[in-house]
Amino acid sequence: MFNVRIAGLVVQTVMTLVCVTASTAFVAAQQADDIFPFPVSVFELDNGLKVVSVDYDSPGIVAYYTIVRAGSRNEVEPGFSGYAHFFEHMMFRGTEKYSTDAYNAVITRMGADSNAFTTDDWTAYHIVASSDALSTIIDIESDRFRNLKYSEEDFRTEAGAILGEYNLNFSNPVALLSERLHDRAFLFHPYKHTTLGFLEDVQDMPNHYDYSLEFYDRYYRPNNSIIVVVGDVDQAELERLVAESYGPWERGDFEPNIPVEPPQTRERTAEVTWPNPTLPFVMIGYHAPAFSDQTVDMPTLDVLSQLLFSETSPLYQRLVLDEQVVDLVTGGAVDQRDAPLFTIIARITDPSKVDYVRDAIVAEIDRLKVEPVDPDVLASTKSHMRYGFAMSLDNPSSIARTLSHYLQLTGDPETVNRVYRLYDAVTVENIMHFATVYFPDTNRTTVTLTQEAQ
Amino acid sequence: MAFLRIVCVAALSGWAIGCSGPEPVELDTATRIGLRTPGSPLITLRVAFRAGSIEDPTGKNGLAALTALMVGRGGTETNTYDELATALYPWSASISAQSDKEVTTVVGHVHRDHLEPFYELFRDLIVSPGLADADFSRNKDFLTNAVVSTLRGGDDEELGKQALNALLYAGHPYEAPAGGTELGLAAITIDDVRAFHAEHYTASNVLVGVAGGYPAGFLTRFEEDVTSGLPPGAAGESPLPSPRALEGLEVLLVEKQAIATAISIGFPIDVTRADDDFFALLVAQSYFGEHRTFSGLLMNKMRGDRGLNYGDYAYIENFIQDGGTRLPAPSIPRRQQFFSIWIRPVPHANAHFALRQALWELERLVTSGLTSDDFDATREFLLNYSKLYVQTASRRLGYAMDSRFYDTEFFVDEIQARLPPLTVEDVNAAIQRHLRFDDLGIAIVTTDAEGFRERLLANEPSPPTYNAAVGDDILAEDEEILDYQLAINADRVQVLPVEEMFREVR
Repeated sequence: MFNVRIAGLVVQTVMTLVCVTASTAFVAAQQADDIFPFPVSVFELDNGLKVVSVDYDSPGIVAYYTIVRAGSRNEVEPGFSGYAHFFEHMMFRGTEKYSTDAYNAVITRMGADSNAFTTDDWTAYHIVASSDALSTIIDIESDRFRNLKYSEEDFRTEAGAILGEYNLNFSNPVALLSERLHDRAFLFHPYKHTTLGFLEDVQDMPNHYDYSLEFYDRYYRPNNSIIVVVGDVDQAELERLVAESYGPWERGDFEPNIPVEPPQTRERTAEVTWPNPTLPFVMIGYHAPAFSDQTVDMPTLDVLSQLLFSETSPLYQRLVLDEQVVDLVTGGAVDQRDAPLFTIIARITDPSKVDYVRDAIVAEIDRLKVEPVDPDVLASTKSHMRYGFAMSLDNPSSIARTLSHYLQLTGDPETVNRVYRLYDAVTVENIMHFATVYFPDTNRTTVTLTQEAQ
Repeated sequence: MAFLRIVCVAALSGWAIGCSGPEPVELDTATRIGLRTPGSPLITLRVAFRAGSIEDPTGKNGLAALTALMVGRGGTETNTYDELATALYPWSASISAQSDKEVTTVVGHVHRDHLEPFYELFRDLIVSPGLADADFSRNKDFLTNAVVSTLRGGDDEELGKQALNALLYAGHPYEAPAGGTELGLAAITIDDVRAFHAEHYTASNVLVGVAGGYPAGFLTRFEEDVTSGLPPGAAGESPLPSPRALEGLEVLLVEKQAIATAISIGFPIDVTRADDDFFALLVAQSYFGEHRTFSGLLMNKMRGDRGLNYGDYAYIENFIQDGGTRLPAPSIPRRQQFFSIWIRPVPHANAHFALRQALWELERLVTSGLTSDDFDATREFLLNYSKLYVQTASRRLGYAMDSRFYDTEFFVDEIQARLPPLTVEDVNAAIQRHLRFDDLGIAIVTTDAEGFRERLLANEPSPPTYNAAVGDDILAEDEEILDYQLAINADRVQVLPVEEMFREVR
């Protein structure tokens, strides 16, 4: 199937090269209250590939991100968890034009910082390099996204690296906790498994070369991808190069049938043990709302996470500073396309206080349902979030990554500004209301981890 | 102050409105470095003290780290830690401290909207920290938990690196982890912290730095506040003996329940950024095992060709990755460095082979060196890649302060200047002078450490198991590697349960 599609693309390339145009292009108008401080330009090819560029004064350096809107959320078939991440690895396994060695040689000569990462919802391939190298970057990146070709032997060999990554992550008890929490909290949705996948699926990966080709065919398409470019680039040249190199990339139409998670109706719990020295942990998850830049639900929960767990919060001051029964307590939810978990983790310094700490966290959440937060504290929290955002944008790569995060959610660069306007709109009443809506006991899953008895 | 060229008096106090002509230039001095970018809204402050774990008294390993934590996560004489955190919070400003073997650094980040009130707090933390009883037990427990829980039970790779450090520097001031040992931390009192602070956080021992969009005159004020606010102290650095000579392949096996085997290999080298040979070795290191890139030979041959693990890298100095980047973190300079190979966790069944392959490749590097093509490609890579080191003002400032430690020009400028005249012969000669494959330390974190010890001593062939068929060229290499004889020094093989690691300096 893969070879047929490649052959088809070769034909398609010849046909479309002559008529590639950017179908739309505009510079987003900035508003006075925009949180994102840099000019943004957007254009889209006829095949649906969107390109978002940010004019940022970074003399001589460019960050080039390719977003594929596929992550472990898209791993819907049982037994095939972890393939979005696996595929991220395979994207470095070469094409007919640039073999693995040739691709690496180009990256090496550029002196580029090149890597990739996978999340629940998206996969990103990023390069930071001299802006002089932009045409080379576009050449090698467009080639592998359109023409990836790897052998079954390469696929099976790379499975060893995947297992290695699983192994290094799972020497940490938090990885086990998180895996167990998601497995327990979700019954059907692919968020049930971590991005790395279940161990038995990881171990079985070498046997499923054909499925990896299917995954590529489904999701590595221009209308499922976005390119983000930040730095010192000539916009007209960027548009010309992208149109030339990505124009022949063939649009796809696969729509995954992602199972809908039913509402959780009773509290769930689990206990795990760790075979090596460790302090106990407790991890709690509540099903939270899916991302939206139109409603205030998720922004309210982001504010709530600050009110609950920042260093200035009453809970932190009590458990960490005064009683010193935990040395780590934090929580929050990641913006995700489907409803994620609002996850809380605490490491308990006294093994006899696990239940005490869990109950203290739950009691503090319950308090915020009924006691209005001090408006000054709310204002301070909003200020913290705005300045935290501003201070994170200090280099091309962090800017590209931040914008990519919002683009993978909605495809719209204006989302980042909308979200921060929603943060500003969060009220004392919102906090009490959404704490009540999203944090009932029946929506909670709790996992504790203790050291295995010797 | 003598170095300040005063053009506009108003600018000194931050009131530049109405002035004409160029802004005052605050030149760097022996105790300050400024990297001003007026257009940036962000400001980073760094204060480095020439003090680290080598100054820990006998039996109190962790005192330098705990003192740093009492500054970075403590209050001032007039503000509790809670009050400080509450003040910083709406600005999203941060203050942290880190301590390594020889240098402790306090770092502050703030938006220019809040520089003035932030600076008042930051300055007080430096010149008049609270070092309060109320913060002591919390910070001491934090460091203790980092050793007894996180290091022993939650991070096999870091455990392997720290085990290698303990092996290479046994009996040397570098031996203990910079964060301390279990019993060393237990022995420290709040009075020890106050005494350490009084002795080492001094004007003769300090370098201040600021980068970003700070106003004209700020650097001078910062330097004067710090140097006049701290006790004068005594100049001079602690003596540092040479590390012991390794005898053959010395092995430290750490026994624990591990899902895979983590391996670190290394030996001390007599080269730092202050030496000419550093730059030749930098090319060799990058060719052999550039951190987390596919430009390194180990990564390509062990992960890429064979799928043994997630990655395999090499270093010519202590290396910590800077946050989410793959670039070297600043503020960990040392007078003595070591060469190391980091083999990320390998399935137990392939661990013996992976160790053999890393050492086999090292022998080939030492005996054959780089080809001209390898040299050209690697040098070009480094000349471009090193430009990415300084994408943020904070890291650029950190490197500049490290260069002061080594008494060199700015690190990245040195790379740009030193690499072009290098030849492949220079690099291969430096390899010959400084790298080796015989007297090494090997730290292994694994399950069934005793069984691994027996396999190492038996030196029997250790064929690998692969997921996929590999090419004939790889199979031919494997035939050599799987029976590559390791000259293990049987008298220098230790097996320790993880619970005994880092209890105290042995």
